[in-house]
Amino acid sequence: MSSDAALRADALGKRFGRRENWALRDCSFRLPTGRVCAVVGPNGAGKSTLLALAAGLTAPTEGSVTVLGTTPAAARPRVGFVAQDKPLYPQLTVAETLRMGADLNPEHWDAAVAEEVVAGGDLNPKARIRSLSGGQRTRVALALAVGKRPELLLLDEPMADLDPLARHELMGTLMAQAAQYGTTIVMSSHVVAELEDSCDHLLLVGGGRIRLAGEIDELLAAHLRVAGAADATGLGAHTVVESKVTGRQLTALIRPAGPLSGEWRAFAPSLDELILAHLRNPGAPALPERSAA
Amino acid sequence: MTAVLTGTPVPRAAGKPRLTRWVLRLHRPALYAWAGLLVALTALLLGLRGPLADAAAEGWRQYNSCTGTARCSYDQDAIVRYKDYYNYATVALNALPMLVAGWAGAALVGRELESGTALLAWTQGTSPARWLAVRLAVPAIAVAAGAALLSWLHHLAWSAGRGRIDTAKDWYDRFTFYAGGPTAVVLALAGLAAGVLAGLVLRRTLPALLVGMTVTAALRGVTEIALPHLWPAVTRVSTTDQVPLGAGLGVDEGVITRSGARTPVPACHTEAQCRAAYADITGRWSTYHPYSHHWPLQLTTSALVLAVAALLALGSFLALRHSTGAPRTTEKATA
Repeated sequence: MSSDAALRADALGKRFGRRENWALRDCSFRLPTGRVCAVVGPNGAGKSTLLALAAGLTAPTEGSVTVLGTTPAAARPRVGFVAQDKPLYPQLTVAETLRMGADLNPEHWDAAVAEEVVAGGDLNPKARIRSLSGGQRTRVALALAVGKRPELLLLDEPMADLDPLARHELMGTLMAQAAQYGTTIVMSSHVVAELEDSCDHLLLVGGGRIRLAGEIDELLAAHLRVAGAADATGLGAHTVVESKVTGRQLTALIRPAGPLSGEWRAFAPSLDELILAHLRNPGAPALPERSAA
Repeated sequence: MTAVLTGTPVPRAAGKPRLTRWVLRLHRPALYAWAGLLVALTALLLGLRGPLADAAAEGWRQYNSCTGTARCSYDQDAIVRYKDYYNYATVALNALPMLVAGWAGAALVGRELESGTALLAWTQGTSPARWLAVRLAVPAIAVAAGAALLSWLHHLAWSAGRGRIDTAKDWYDRFTFYAGGPTAVVLALAGLAAGVLAGLVLRRTLPALLVGMTVTAALRGVTEIALPHLWPAVTRVSTTDQVPLGAGLGVDEGVITRSGARTPVPACHTEAQCRAAYADITGRWSTYHPYSHHWPLQLTTSALVLAVAALLALGSFLALRHSTGAPRTTEKATA
């Protein structure tokens, strides 16, 4: 049933400490294989916690997460992970780091792919990791994760340290990887722009909950940005995510439940508008994907 | 080794993950330091066993053959040198478990969790449990082998001075006892396990270093308290006009009254008090461990410490399982 899901969460929750300090709660979604999924949300929303749960680095407090049809622990050899601060052993050289990747992933290491990622950054293989810049370290960390030839690649803020050129180039490498091997990629970011062109699936996390989940095209199609006179009526039948009155004009982002009355002018929202409207209005009803779909 | 490890990565079709070589590579400085310490202490202990002990023994022979009034010449420097070097070697062996604990807590585990490289290791093709098993086993072999060699050499060095050097330490001198036997080895292993557990629980370098060392020092302290009770002691009785019997690791002592009862040594401060207190006393008793108990005590203490080390290692696996949470996830996903 879940064999075509790369990642699936059912009522997943994670609490840190004894107190009611939930990083993530009641989180259900299903990500089909082969997608490039953006996990978007403000700082502290629970993105890193979600990725760590999927990577089997921490245990859920409640609910469950299924990775490639099995447990995160059992899926470990088939999952690549790059943590937010790109940890690497500082005393190793670049070449040694890749060599370690080969030794620790003996069944499925692809040295050519790993070297290609590193080569793109003009890195000296004999350079120690501690002597590298943040962007160069990101490149080595990505090479290590990609060289594993994973079926699912989990990247926590992968592009934060990169200049626009390197970001574009590395994103291209990742997309080529995804296209060639059908790799599912899940990457988190709080910068929507860096994901919009590459991703076809969205998980919007806010306040430890899933606010939006689904194909980006479908999510955009399910929403409308409308404008009308401030005293206009007829929005009540729809789900209003956000509304704002400026002077005599009312603009709103809605999830239409039927045809709109003629008083309103409707526009297709941008992904940015959609995300910001949901993040600014945590009280708005979430639109999580039906997990049994 | 370096040439092999820095070579260009070669794809390997199949095989088992090689964790051991990477533990050795990542902790190469520690490995070299340990090798250096082993060489230095081996040289020192061999010197203590041979030339240094011989020179000191000769010094004592000269001193003891001096007659009262004549000007006495003896090799005092040799005696002092033996005593000093013996103390250095003994202190080093006594400090070893704490050193191992600090290293294990800080460098082996704490730093990996603090900097996040543990997350890197746990998301390769091997499980966190395997990562921990290798991080316990490889240092354990190195530490056990080295400490076994050093403690054996220490025992030889101590034996070389026994009966020949008047200032040589007794077998029950606590620093000598913990340096020259299997207790030195198992305490170092317990230090390793304590450091690893501290690193896994605290997840930070400096606290893990301090807590690992403290736990190991506390374990050593507890074994010192327990030591006299880890083997049945013997009791000797003597009369008041004899010298007290029984030289060894004392457990308890007291006096025997005319009625035959054994009581503690009475406290008295003035002559009159003492005369009254001792009026009824006919002898002394003492409970102690003679030298023949040296090895039984070494072995029982070692067994006790080894059991604690095993518990600490088990605790590390439980702590790791608690944080990465493999079993709970399995349970729910299969349900």
